[in-house]
Amino acid sequence: MTYFGSTGGLPRPAAVKGAPAGPDAVAPADPGKPGSRRQSDRLGAILLSDYFVLYLSLFYVAVLIPFLPTLATPANMSNVLSNMWPLLVVAVGQTFVLTIAGIDLSQGSVAGLTSILIAMLLATAAPAQVLGHTPIWGLMLTEAGGPLAGVAYGTWLGIGIVLAVAALIGLANGLAVAVLKMPAFMVTLVALIALSAFAIWLTQSNNIRELPADFVALGKGTIVSLFFGDQHSAQLPRREVHAFVTWPMIVAVSVAVVAHVLLGHTVFGRRVFAIGLNRRAAEISGVPVVRIVVLVFVISAVCAAIGGLLYTARLETGRPTLGGGNFLLDVIGATVIGGTSLFGGKAKILWTVWGVLFFVLLGNTLNLMNLSAFHIDMVKGGVIIAAAFLDVARQRLRRGMG
Amino acid sequence: MSAGASFRERAVDLALRRATVIIFAVVLLYFGMQAPLFLGVENLGNIVKQSAFLGIAAIGITLVLLTGGIDLSVGSVMYLASLAAGFAMRDMGVGVAGGVLAALGAGALLGAINAFFIVRLGIVPFIVTLATLFAFRGFGAFLTSSRQFDFPPGLRSFGLASVMGIPVPVLVFATVAVVAHLALTRTTFGRQVYAVGNDATGAVKAGIPLGRVRAAVYVISGATAGLAGFILIAQIGRIDAGFGQGREFDVIAAAVLGGASLFGGVGTAFGAVIGATLMQTVNTGLAFSGMNLYLQPILQAGIIFLAVLVDSLRQSRQMLRRRRTIRPIQR
Amino acid sequence: MDALLELDAVTKEWFGVPAVSDLTLRIPRGEVVGIIGENGAGKSTLMNVIGGVVPPTRGRMRFKGADYAPAAPADATGAGIAFIHQELNLFTNLSILDNVFITGFPRRFGLADRRAAATVTRTLLERLDIRHDPETLVEDLAPGERQLVEIAKALHRSVDLIIFDEPTTSLTPRETVRLFEVISGLRREGRTVIYISHILSDVRALCDRVAVLRDGRLVDEGPVGDFGIARMIRSMIGRELSSLFPPRSAAPSEKVLVQARGLSQPGVVEDITFSIREGEILGLFGLMGSGRSELARIFFGLDPVAEGSLIVAGRAVSGGPMARISDGIAFVTENRREEGLLMDAPVAENISLATVEQLGRGPLGLLDRDVERAVAERAKVDLSIRASDLSRLPVRSLSGGNQQKVVIAKWLAAAPRLFILDEPTRGVDVGAKYEIYALADRLAAAGNAVLFISSELEELTGMCDRVLVMNRGEITAGFDRAPDMPHFDREALLAAAFREVVA
Repeated sequence: MTYFGSTGGLPRPAAVKGAPAGPDAVAPADPGKPGSRRQSDRLGAILLSDYFVLYLSLFYVAVLIPFLPTLATPANMSNVLSNMWPLLVVAVGQTFVLTIAGIDLSQGSVAGLTSILIAMLLATAAPAQVLGHTPIWGLMLTEAGGPLAGVAYGTWLGIGIVLAVAALIGLANGLAVAVLKMPAFMVTLVALIALSAFAIWLTQSNNIRELPADFVALGKGTIVSLFFGDQHSAQLPRREVHAFVTWPMIVAVSVAVVAHVLLGHTVFGRRVFAIGLNRRAAEISGVPVVRIVVLVFVISAVCAAIGGLLYTARLETGRPTLGGGNFLLDVIGATVIGGTSLFGGKAKILWTVWGVLFFVLLGNTLNLMNLSAFHIDMVKGGVIIAAAFLDVARQRLRRGMG
Repeated sequence: MSAGASFRERAVDLALRRATVIIFAVVLLYFGMQAPLFLGVENLGNIVKQSAFLGIAAIGITLVLLTGGIDLSVGSVMYLASLAAGFAMRDMGVGVAGGVLAALGAGALLGAINAFFIVRLGIVPFIVTLATLFAFRGFGAFLTSSRQFDFPPGLRSFGLASVMGIPVPVLVFATVAVVAHLALTRTTFGRQVYAVGNDATGAVKAGIPLGRVRAAVYVISGATAGLAGFILIAQIGRIDAGFGQGREFDVIAAAVLGGASLFGGVGTAFGAVIGATLMQTVNTGLAFSGMNLYLQPILQAGIIFLAVLVDSLRQSRQMLRRRRTIRPIQR
Repeated sequence: MDALLELDAVTKEWFGVPAVSDLTLRIPRGEVVGIIGENGAGKSTLMNVIGGVVPPTRGRMRFKGADYAPAAPADATGAGIAFIHQELNLFTNLSILDNVFITGFPRRFGLADRRAAATVTRTLLERLDIRHDPETLVEDLAPGERQLVEIAKALHRSVDLIIFDEPTTSLTPRETVRLFEVISGLRREGRTVIYISHILSDVRALCDRVAVLRDGRLVDEGPVGDFGIARMIRSMIGRELSSLFPPRSAAPSEKVLVQARGLSQPGVVEDITFSIREGEILGLFGLMGSGRSELARIFFGLDPVAEGSLIVAGRAVSGGPMARISDGIAFVTENRREEGLLMDAPVAENISLATVEQLGRGPLGLLDRDVERAVAERAKVDLSIRASDLSRLPVRSLSGGNQQKVVIAKWLAAAPRLFILDEPTRGVDVGAKYEIYALADRLAAAGNAVLFISSELEELTGMCDRVLVMNRGEITAGFDRAPDMPHFDREALLAAAFREVVA
């Protein structure tokens, strides 16, 4: 790449003389006292580290283990992990949208629609007394199941169709935001209302069960299991085998790694950040704003759909209300706790991973304490505020350290 | 020729500016043609009565949106503040008037909690109110153990009463709207709310007490949410654990339908009234038309989408217009 | 002659580094005092000290004969000091009246009495010769009128000292003239004015006294009669600057590089036809609202155009900014904060923004950060950008002149043939201005075409080979630099720019 243009070298800047040197705007380093400073530096480094929320999670676990010994059992750890993966995939998608200073409220409804669509396509059987009065009965679903039941590679075909539908939804959201210049909050709010209503209408709020085994394996399939204890017999007691490397883990980690590379290390990611930092400057500098914004919403919707698929496989049920309730708030809460800014231009996939881990740990520990759902809600609210406050404190520290 | 073009342009402008009203008219006309009873005085009165609940909260959140903030905790405040009023009426024996005050006071208190975190600790409103959305509802469920709470019977007779033929909820709705309108247009505080939403740092420089203005709008939003919840309860007489859940989005949608901008600085109290009434009209109309219950939200979503779309179209046109003032257009 | 404001050995240090040191200055009552100095000379720190934004580290101030130690901006306001900043402090969604009374309305029956407020506002507006209804929204006012509304706000508070900070940067010449009339009026009323500006001729025309700051110290001070432009510059930069403008290093060639033919857009521009040769700097002079920036946006594909064509290096260009960049156009916009830079991103990322595609490797487009750093380092040396860590330091922390160089470096990386510079020296101090002029010369000398848009006639006549005048969306006149005459006919230029506005 040439730097100074096709016309070749420029004459050296001989003309620039007598021009005075302006002040260098960099603030001088504060000398300070070396001893105490090193300590506060280390604390500062932890607070400002990309791994801060991970440290926070570990600290949280360390504090709670004496009171909640079950927390550290393999069974529980396995459980925490399995809760983490689908949420992580969805939150990764949200991270992209937040980076361009947008928001995607429709993710939960996309997950719900995904759940019902995949079940509708793949179901191996369906009870007429439950689903007989739904608008899809006879059209898509019969006693013999969905149109892809028993079809070779039907599961993969179904997954492809469902992801394509999600991509179309993302496309619609993105076009409304980028081309029609509507606020993302309202566009995706409308999508949230309409899509969840549509998903519920499809089955008249009923669930679809009887999913094929190869699909269910996606949610439960185990690749590496660990056994803790003495091996006395050749047969391991099933209850003590704990799944660690599972299909959802592979999917989620792959999505996160790809997203990490995409957002942090590619031309595309750089442009995503540019739009979040200053949309007008980005446009004038040749960033294809419309294309990038649309793509970001497509990514978000597809991530939501993958998350929906993982949940559906784990529950072995297509459920239209899958992404309802507090799901959306979990996603945004986890992403923001990780440190991603709602105002755009400040995000990292790694942060989101720790944010999701923290959120899932929190829910898990509250469950272990046998707290009721409403206690959990209260504590969750408190923790979101505490984490946000910590983030504010970190910002101040960062500014203070220049 | 050129006069015709400019006439068309002006007509389009007017249509875009009055879009909500036009949509409203079309909706009324459509449902009226489906069922003439729909346009009857009684039915229309019912619609206004039923939209009081949404409208009062939408007026409160309009103030928050005007400052460029957001309040996601509205649904939970409706629940918890009404519950507080219920406890006051059942256990402390205060009357309906006491209940109204309790709902307002509890709502304001919950709003003050939001304000504390937003203004004092400097945490983003979205996150604070997201957190209190969880926390307030959790606390309410804790108080009732998630069970239904029955209000003293006196409440319903208040909720269904009317003064000089005007139902009480409508009276309260109208009072809130007029007070909010005067506060926004005819007080220093009201003008400062607009100023803060236009330019918060500028507001500080201009000597506007930014913290106090921002705190006030969250307190007001809490109070109106509490009052809104109470007004609805007064019509149904009981409260269950899911009361108000997800309502924050309806309330925001109503405010935006009424012309409030999510970016701050734009919106009016009467706009919120129109937005809320429109949403209720659609709800009632769809119930009238016997459409599948599950499909109704899709139509509501469509109307919200339309209103937001019109708003962004209008803004684009305005930007274009501002750019075209260099020379007269000759034809 | 008594002093309204006295500063006695005022020092302000940041982390032990003085931004203002040992400054003693008297502002006489009823005079207009110009304060000049390069960016970083301590002007803004001094104003922040006077305005109560930051307390001085040492030293005392007296205002109206009494000790003055403001703890907050409100104290300065209360004492009778008003600031008119470069960025106006008006709420555009509110009316003039609302803006004047935003901190407190007159009340009647407990509610704001808008009628009484309107009466007061109308009187204020009449004093400033603004013919608008008090209920007019500020967003419907021209920039110059907005500035006057800001002054109306100050008058409403009956202030003794008004401090103007670069007030004319966004004003048309006519609005500037009007502002100067208003300032003279303020002086006649016995008010005192501090006027901070980079435009030295304005300072000379307007002020009674001049104070020059350099490196936080008062280096020169006296009645304006003693100050020629040369002395001002010498005092500001501490040495002789041979000329305000660098000499042109090469003459333009005969080959036409850029050709605009009949560009028209109803309501915006009409039949714009001109050409720029290789190595030529073409000036485009016009008042604000003449269509000059709009024409630049059309050139860059940001705004639509109904008719006409634009040819750059033999190719007709079309499409949006992305296509125009690859067709060889670069656009340095007039407001770098809003349209030029990602203020919170590091310098290196800003420099690579327009060419980021070229950093992509492989099908995913993985960023080659080494190349990015190398490009940034070369730009840093080439344009003498003063910044320490290019890949970490956000652009926000650079001075205005260095920020502008980052914008130019971004475009240089794209190897364009046509540079559109829209007010490239706005808000930039004298030294950095010189560097930007020198850069424009280098760009032209390398065989590129430069379209230099400005409302400062001096820099156009100082730098350009030709100057076109734009008026109401049309090019109304063109002026060549005569080979035997080194200067343009300034009066004819100004007359051409004002013609239709006057009519």
